Amino acid sequence: MEELKKAILDFAENSKKSKFYFKDMEKGVQEKFPDAKMREIKKAATALINEGVLIFFSTGSSTMYGLKGRGMTEDPE
Amino acid sequence: MGFESKREEKEIKYAETRIYTDAEVHNYTEEELKSFKVKHDIPDLDELEKGPWPSFVADAKREALHRSKLPKDKMLVAPDVVEDMLGQLQLSFDDGETHWKHGGIVGIMGYGGGVIGRYSDLADKYPSIAHFHTLRVNQPASKFYDTGFLRTICDLWEYRGSGMMNLHGSTGDMVLLGTVTDQLEPIFFELTHVMDQDLGGSGSNLRTPSACIGKARCEFSCYDTQALSYELTNHYQDELHRPAFPYKFKFKFDGCPNGCVASIARSDMSFIGTWRDDIRIDQEAVKAYIAGDFQPNGGAHAGRDWGGFDIEKEVIGLCPTRCMVMEDGILKINNPECTRCMHCINVMPRALRPGLDTGISILCGAKAPILEGAQMSTLIVPFMKAEPPYDNIKEFIEKVWEWWMEEGKNRERLGELIQRKSLPAFLEVLGLPPAPQMVKAPRSNPYIFWKEEDVPGGWDRDIKGYRERHKR
Ligand code: SF4
Ligand code: SF4
Repeated sequence: MEELKKAILDFAENSKKSKFYFKDMEKGVQEKFPDAKMREIKKAATALINEGVLIFFSTGSSTMYGLKGRGMTEDPE
Repeated sequence: MGFESKREEKEIKYAETRIYTDAEVHNYTEEELKSFKVKHDIPDLDELEKGPWPSFVADAKREALHRSKLPKDKMLVAPDVVEDMLGQLQLSFDDGETHWKHGGIVGIMGYGGGVIGRYSDLADKYPSIAHFHTLRVNQPASKFYDTGFLRTICDLWEYRGSGMMNLHGSTGDMVLLGTVTDQLEPIFFELTHVMDQDLGGSGSNLRTPSACIGKARCEFSCYDTQALSYELTNHYQDELHRPAFPYKFKFKFDGCPNGCVASIARSDMSFIGTWRDDIRIDQEAVKAYIAGDFQPNGGAHAGRDWGGFDIEKEVIGLCPTRCMVMEDGILKINNPECTRCMHCINVMPRALRPGLDTGISILCGAKAPILEGAQMSTLIVPFMKAEPPYDNIKEFIEKVWEWWMEEGKNRERLGELIQRKSLPAFLEVLGLPPAPQMVKAPRSNPYIFWKEEDVPGGWDRDIKGYRERHKR
């Protein structure tokens, strides 16, 4: 779990975009841990959300993840 | 097995939860409404009030007047929020573009859905709607409320929001329109701890499941739509609140093919009640309809004189599969040919009823137009039993999700994925055989291709033996 959280953070810090889809995050993590299952990655991402490290961005129709404080403020520009 | 709630149901007593007095709730007269003007010029919106249909503009003006007369210390969101919303909308009409920014971060701690961040890009001009977030509240199955619940939520939303709501959004939720970021957590606390009420889905989540009134009131219901909706809502909490899907995913539950929640048109997975035995016929009641003793359609079309009931013309001749006949005064149905369209049952409900071996058909892939145009669901499982604990249904759902989450692109609905990958590919993942019911029209979508392993003997054939039977 801790390893997956770290892999998610690495992906989030290095991703070109400040918001990204779950699927892209999943692929990013699986580059490091090819055996990581979607459910485990989701659990790790949820833990990061609950810790306030990751945030959700939603348009209402679809949802993306982002790193708190990186490139996004609460109010989109 | 009857329905059992997973937890004790809470009764909401308005006397204990109310925020406003009766005088405050009814605080303006119709005369005042006639002379009331909102603070912005809204000529196009005024236009929308004309004509025969109810208008949201008329409702919004009532709310604006109501708020202008409420005590200021009994509203935590600006009193003129509705007026600013109308003003900005008028400007959007003038400019031909929206002045809402696209999306936002706001949410309830730990929830990835249920709150949709909305911000105005004209906050200087319309300060009260600088934040104007939407909350989706998970409606109870089949939308059964009591007045205590409705009044409580109205008071709560007047106090901590704009007072404007949309009952219900097309997914089924109660949609609360317009509040500020600071009020989100307090509203969520009130909803969950006081009203025992959860938020619904939004974004790339399982959306709030929605059910027809089902067995609660409707004799046609072939399974307990509310129980299934309730069970899946509870079972898939993680999918509802923590988005990890490629895009939205909707469940809808219709108790019979009449489709009162239009599951076939509006859900990625439609659960439609059906039966696999024979339509039950009460021949005496058939005779009574013919004799004019019972009104056809339960009297639904009685507003005009259509003449006497003609079973040949109104029932037998309209059966889409022509599987009904009258022989010697007896109505006969060739049940294997019946497509369960419900027409005959709707016309003569006292004479005809669905069979007793009931369950569901599952259809997949309906969606609104964004890519490839609007699409109805395609029949995938012709019949499945639908009884607690619904493990067979959950197993099916999870197989579908696994495939979609693996193969689906970002923002690709299940129906689009099935189109892209083909229906046979989808059926293979599910381990289901193709069935004639999946063909929309014979010879128009011949999408089943045989694979070598499906054909006895494979592609190899004895060419000598063939030539002996077939000369060149
Ligand atoms: S869909 Fe069928 S069972 Fe459900 S309310 Fe409509 S008629 Fe009744
Ligand atoms: S339900 Fe529809 S298809 Fe079946 S017998 Fe009645 S009219 Fe015909």
